[in-house]
Amino acid sequence: MSEPGSAPSGSPPLLRVRGLTRRFGEIAVVHDLDLDVAAGHGLALVGRNGAGKSTVLRCIVGADRPTSGSVELNGVRIDERSERIRRDLAVAMDDMDFFPDLSVVEHLDLLARAHGVEDAEAVVDAVLAEVGLVPQSDQLPPTLSSGQRRRLALASAFVRPRRLLVLDEPEQRLDAAGRAWLAERLRAEKADGLGVLLASHDEQLVAAVADATLSLA
Amino acid sequence: MSRESAREIRELRATIRHWRRGRVDTRFVDAFNDAYVAVFATLMLGAMAVNVVINLRAVGRGGCTSGLCVQARTTLPWLLVIGVAAACLGVARLFGPMLVTPAVGTWLLPAPVDRAALLRPRLVATCGAALLAGALLALASSALASFAVGAVVAFSVVVAAGCALLVAVAVVDQARGLGVTGALTWLVAAVSWAGLVALSAGRAPDLQAATAYGPGWPAAAGVAGVLMMGAAALAARSLPLLSADRLKPGGSLVPSLSGALATVDLALIYDIMVARRWLARSTVRSVRARRRGPTGGAALVWRDLIRVRRAPQRLVVLAASLVVPYLGAAAGLGRVLVLAASVTGFVAGLGLCSAVRVVSRNPGLARCLPMPTWQTRGSCLVVPGALLLAWGLGTAPAFHATLPALPGGDWPLAVDLGIATGFAALVAITRWLTAAPPDYQKPLLSSPTGAVPTSLFGALGRGLDVLLLLTAPILLSPTPTGAVVSIGIGVIVLGVLLNRERS
Repeated sequence: MSEPGSAPSGSPPLLRVRGLTRRFGEIAVVHDLDLDVAAGHGLALVGRNGAGKSTVLRCIVGADRPTSGSVELNGVRIDERSERIRRDLAVAMDDMDFFPDLSVVEHLDLLARAHGVEDAEAVVDAVLAEVGLVPQSDQLPPTLSSGQRRRLALASAFVRPRRLLVLDEPEQRLDAAGRAWLAERLRAEKADGLGVLLASHDEQLVAAVADATLSLA
Repeated sequence: MSRESAREIRELRATIRHWRRGRVDTRFVDAFNDAYVAVFATLMLGAMAVNVVINLRAVGRGGCTSGLCVQARTTLPWLLVIGVAAACLGVARLFGPMLVTPAVGTWLLPAPVDRAALLRPRLVATCGAALLAGALLALASSALASFAVGAVVAFSVVVAAGCALLVAVAVVDQARGLGVTGALTWLVAAVSWAGLVALSAGRAPDLQAATAYGPGWPAAAGVAGVLMMGAAALAARSLPLLSADRLKPGGSLVPSLSGALATVDLALIYDIMVARRWLARSTVRSVRARRRGPTGGAALVWRDLIRVRRAPQRLVVLAASLVVPYLGAAAGLGRVLVLAASVTGFVAGLGLCSAVRVVSRNPGLARCLPMPTWQTRGSCLVVPGALLLAWGLGTAPAFHATLPALPGGDWPLAVDLGIATGFAALVAITRWLTAAPPDYQKPLLSSPTGAVPTSLFGALGRGLDVLLLLTAPILLSPTPTGAVVSIGIGVIVLGVLLNRERS
């Protein structure tokens, strides 16, 4: 039986998770989880609050250390200290904060240039327009609304090179138009051959983006 | 204020008091015991402090007889009070000075009550606190400087009134939006700095005559008192003009700082202050790299250069702090100057290192960058490191001035010591900013104040531990070898700090 999100052709998956377990004391929040995400495919983690969706994502991106199990990106065991992993893995999670003294556009410019994006200026301008933050481009992040900060976090994932997008409830604090844009954007990402792994409570977003869903009890 | 509105305020306060008393959890006997201990401790410690001042005064009179020493002793109280005035203004700007607690901001400010009546007790308390702080410091410093008793009293009155006056002016500024408090703070700080420069150069004015009691003193005290009363009256009249948006920020800052202090997380206080500063600014003129701009770690370095240009005050503070090592040299600190200078560089350089703090505190942000942790942090330290090394080189003449007291030294040794000092400050700052906050998930220690994490009290000495470690080789052996050993240990410590994954 193929794992959720695995490539139909049987080609090696972009992301491969095997036997992932995360215990907090006696409580196993995640137990023996397997999942695959193929290039050009989307996998959505769904489940009630506390089911372990964010814990799975945190273990995958290296923000948390799994009790056991393996996580591989493109055949390489994920070590978030690795330059290659950082280059291929674009993440937008809730723990992201910003420099208090850099404006919106300066954040995106910094990330694009740190990743060595060619023609960073044009890429940043395009993403800024897409997320609707052009009027706020000179604003400092603490003065943004929560929805605008969420857009900035998503934009920071789109201005840089990536092969796999990992998003934790990306629909949070977005308005209806923002959610529609996000669904469209993630479909475009898949069409460009990127893998998308997201945890979400938004059924419409899941239906629009995910080729497979994995329900965590 | 109408009698009716005053009655409303009293009734509201009485209601709040009634609520609070309904939740009393301390018996009267316990409160009495606590009060007894507090009063006894205050009296005992106060008596000890007075005794220390009297003894030091006697020692100072007997031991400090040279012209330079007497000049420094009589000048320092003046510089100290100017510094206190700058501190009063700085604290006043930070908190408002008028503020309301979040509860008052939520419940009473929107209510149709007389705002002046609501804020008047806080104005009295704020000016009173400034008055008390100024008086205590002036009393101690003038007594130590062997002022005559009458001069001590008059000097204390002048300083206390001056501090309260400055706070009252800040209140008027806060209410009327004149924008003078900031300029006044910089002006007072500049005067204080100029005094320190003059003192370190041995060109301080002769203020010995002011230590005697003369007819000028009561006149000065009277004028200061009248000016303070006038400013306080003007501040009281300005209270109705204070809008909620000017009162609430200070009130929300207090619980944040209290929380950070309760956990002895001093770096969190740093975060709060940095965030508050930039929140007040809200927008900036964005600066973007040209078409072929810096990439990789150089992009972080370039952003730090933009930061320095954007907020040059931090650079001014660092440059101004150079006076301290020269003052230490003039005071004949000898090899201890290394420790004094590195502590100064540590404190003055903290403001330049906000980027390394942000990437260390926010793993989510660091994860977005393609570089490994050590490179990210290292890139954020390039500009502050260069500035601190330049600062260290700037201290070389001060070390050169102390070299006659050191064995076999000359300019190369002075330069070595300067570099080692700047580097020690950089490593200590990195230690301070990248350290983990107290971990309440680990086993806790039992203490009279409740369970505390093992790392809680160690947090107080963080940074200073590295300074002691790195300056120890020079303190033991003020030679080029000592400087090289110090730098070598610093490189190892910095390597560990940059590579530490969990901040």
